[in-house]
Amino acid sequence: MRAQPANRISRKGLKVWRLYGIIQTSILTLLAIGIGVLVYIFEWPTWIYLIEVGVIVLFAYFIIALFPKIRWMRWRYEVRESEIELQHGLFIVKRTLIPMVRVQHVDTSQGPILRKYGLAEISISTAATVHTIPALVMGEADDMRNRISVLARVAEDDV
Amino acid sequence: MSEHKRYKLHWITAILEMVKTLKEAILPLVVLLFANGWRGSGNAPWYVEYWTFIVFGVLIIFLLISGIIKWVRFVYWFEDDELRIESGLFVKKKRYIPFDRIQSLDYTEGIFHRPFGLVKVKVETAGSSSSKQAEGELTAISKEAAKRVEIELAEAKKRKRNNVVIDEEEHMLEEGFIPQGHHEETPILTNIFTMTNKDLLILATTSGGIGVILSGVAIFASQFGDLIPYEWMYEEISAFIKFGVLIVAIAVFFGVLGVWLLSVAMTFLSNFNFNVTLGEEDIVITRGLLEKKRATVPLKRIQSIVVVENPLRKLFGYASVTIHSAGGGISDSSKINLFPLVKRKMVERYLLEVFPDMHVDEPANKLTVRGKPFYYRIDFLWMVPVIGALIYFFFPYGLFSLAIIPVIMALGMWQHRSAAFDISGNQLTMRFRGISLQTAYMMRKRIQSMEMKQSYFHRRKGVATIVASVKSGMGTYHATVQHMEVEKAEEIFDWYEKDRVPSAKQVTGNPVTE
Repeated sequence: MRAQPANRISRKGLKVWRLYGIIQTSILTLLAIGIGVLVYIFEWPTWIYLIEVGVIVLFAYFIIALFPKIRWMRWRYEVRESEIELQHGLFIVKRTLIPMVRVQHVDTSQGPILRKYGLAEISISTAATVHTIPALVMGEADDMRNRISVLARVAEDDV
Repeated sequence: MSEHKRYKLHWITAILEMVKTLKEAILPLVVLLFANGWRGSGNAPWYVEYWTFIVFGVLIIFLLISGIIKWVRFVYWFEDDELRIESGLFVKKKRYIPFDRIQSLDYTEGIFHRPFGLVKVKVETAGSSSSKQAEGELTAISKEAAKRVEIELAEAKKRKRNNVVIDEEEHMLEEGFIPQGHHEETPILTNIFTMTNKDLLILATTSGGIGVILSGVAIFASQFGDLIPYEWMYEEISAFIKFGVLIVAIAVFFGVLGVWLLSVAMTFLSNFNFNVTLGEEDIVITRGLLEKKRATVPLKRIQSIVVVENPLRKLFGYASVTIHSAGGGISDSSKINLFPLVKRKMVERYLLEVFPDMHVDEPANKLTVRGKPFYYRIDFLWMVPVIGALIYFFFPYGLFSLAIIPVIMALGMWQHRSAAFDISGNQLTMRFRGISLQTAYMMRKRIQSMEMKQSYFHRRKGVATIVASVKSGMGTYHATVQHMEVEKAEEIFDWYEKDRVPSAKQVTGNPVTE
C-alpha cells in the first residue's frame, strides 16, 4: 500500500468551505422562502413547507458540516524533489502524481474570502492538465510556487 | 544587405477570402432572404421589394473588395531565418515566425486551387497553444513558391543544426520512440502505407454510418407526426392506410439511404489516395480527391499511439490507428488518423516501420475477477429506475426492457475481459473498451500526469481505476483502465514515479502531526 502524501491543507480551509456552504444554503433558503410565499398565496398543500424545511436541513448538514470535513480529511499533498503527489475526493479518492519535469507553470490565486483568511490556492499546470490545491496559507503557497517553478525549470521543454 | 525579395499571394486569394467570409455569413443571410424575400405585393417601389437582394449584392461586392485589399496588402518574405508576413490596410499586421519554431507545413489544395496549380500553406508552430488557427497561413501560392518556403525552411534548419549540433545530441532523449541518430541514416522519404480503393470503400461504408443512420432515423421519426396523414387515413379505406404507411416507410428508407450514401461519399472523397510516408523527422500524410490535403506530423511531437478496433470492422479483420500529437490543430481535431483502416494483422508491422523502438506486443496483464462486478454493477443505478418506469407506464410491453439487463451485463463483462495493461521499459500500454477496443501506447515522458481513483467500494475490494493523461493538440487524451487490482495500479504508479532520480526528500510544507 502506498503511503499517503504527507501534508494537509490549512485548517482554515475547512472554515472557508463551511463559509461557502453557508452561502449556498442561504441562497437555497431564499429560494425556498420564495416558493413558500407562492404556496401561501395560491393555497397549495401545506406539506410542501415540510419538504422545504427537510431539504434545507439536509442540504445544510451535508454541505456545511459533513462534506467539508470529509474533504478536508482527504486532502493531502506532498511536493518532493521530482514529483508532486495529491490526494483528494469526497466519495472517490483520487491520487494524482505529477512529475516535476512535466510542470509547465504554477499560479497562485486568491478570492476575497480566501484573502480574508490569509489563504491562497495554487494551480499546477502541465501541458495537458491543471491541478489545484485549494487552500494553503498564503506564505506557504507563494513559497511553494517559487520552489516548484525552480524545480520544474530543470525540465527540458520537449512536449 | 540588400532588400529581400517580397512575395505576394496568387490573386485567387481575393475570391477565396470572399467565399470564406460568405460561408460564415450564409446562414443569417438565407434566413433574412426567406423571411423577407418573396413578399412583394407589387405596389411598392422596386428597391423596397427587392431590398434583401440589394443587401445581398452590396455585401458580395463589399466582401470582394475587402478580399482584394487583403490580397493586395499581403506580402511575405524570408529574412534572418524568419518567415515574415505583413498584411492589413488600416491596421498593419506584421508577423515574424522564426524558422526553428516552425513545426510543420501543411498543404491543402481546394477546388479553387487546383485549376491554377496552387496550394494553401499553413505554418504550424510549437507555441500556438493559445490560438486555434495556425500561426501563419498563405492562402494561395503556386507550388513552386511552396517549394521555395520548404527549401528556405530546410536550409535554415540545417544551418541551425550545424551550429548547435552538440546541443541537439543532448536534446535527443534516451526514451523516445525513435532511436538516436535514426534520422541521420534515412534521408529520403519512405512510403509506409497506402490505402487501396477496396479498403477505402470498406472504410467509407463502415465509418460513422450507424451514427448517421440513427440520427437520420431520429430526424424522420420526429417528422412522423406530420408525415402520416391521419385525418385523410381515417376517411379512406384500409387499403389506402397500408399504402400510406408503405409510402412513408419507403420514404424513410430512401432518406436514410441518401444520408448514408452522402456520408460514404464524403469519407471516400476526403480519404481518397490516403498515403503515409516517413521522412527524416516527420510523418507526411496526404489524402483527398477534390481537396488534397498534406499534413506533416513531427515525430518528436507524437504523444501517444492508439489502435482502435471497432467490433464491426473487426469482423472483417480491420482496425484503425490514430495518433495524438502535441501540435496545434494539425488536422481538424487533435486526433490524427494515421491508418484509417488497416488489416489488423498488419498493424504491428506498419507501426514498427514508423516507430522502430515501440513495443507492439499485446498487453499481457489481464485483470482478475476481483474487479469484474464493478464493470456492470454501477449500470444498475440508472437501469433500475428506467426499467421500473417503463414497466409501470407501458405495462405489458415495458417488460421487454428487462432484456437490456443481460445486454448491459454482457457488455460489462466484455469490457472487463478486454481490459489489460503492460509496462515494457519506458512504455506503458493500456487496453480498454467502450464498445470499440482501444489500445493506447504511451511513453513515460509523454504522460503528463497520472491519477489513481478509488471509491469506498473499490477500497473494500482492493480495486482501483487508473487514468493516464496525455497531451493531444490543445486538449487531453485520457487512457483509463478501470477497476484493476490495486497492487497492479500501484505498480503502474510506482513505475511512473521513477521518472527522475527517485528521492523522497521532503521539499516544502508542514508534515501532518497527528
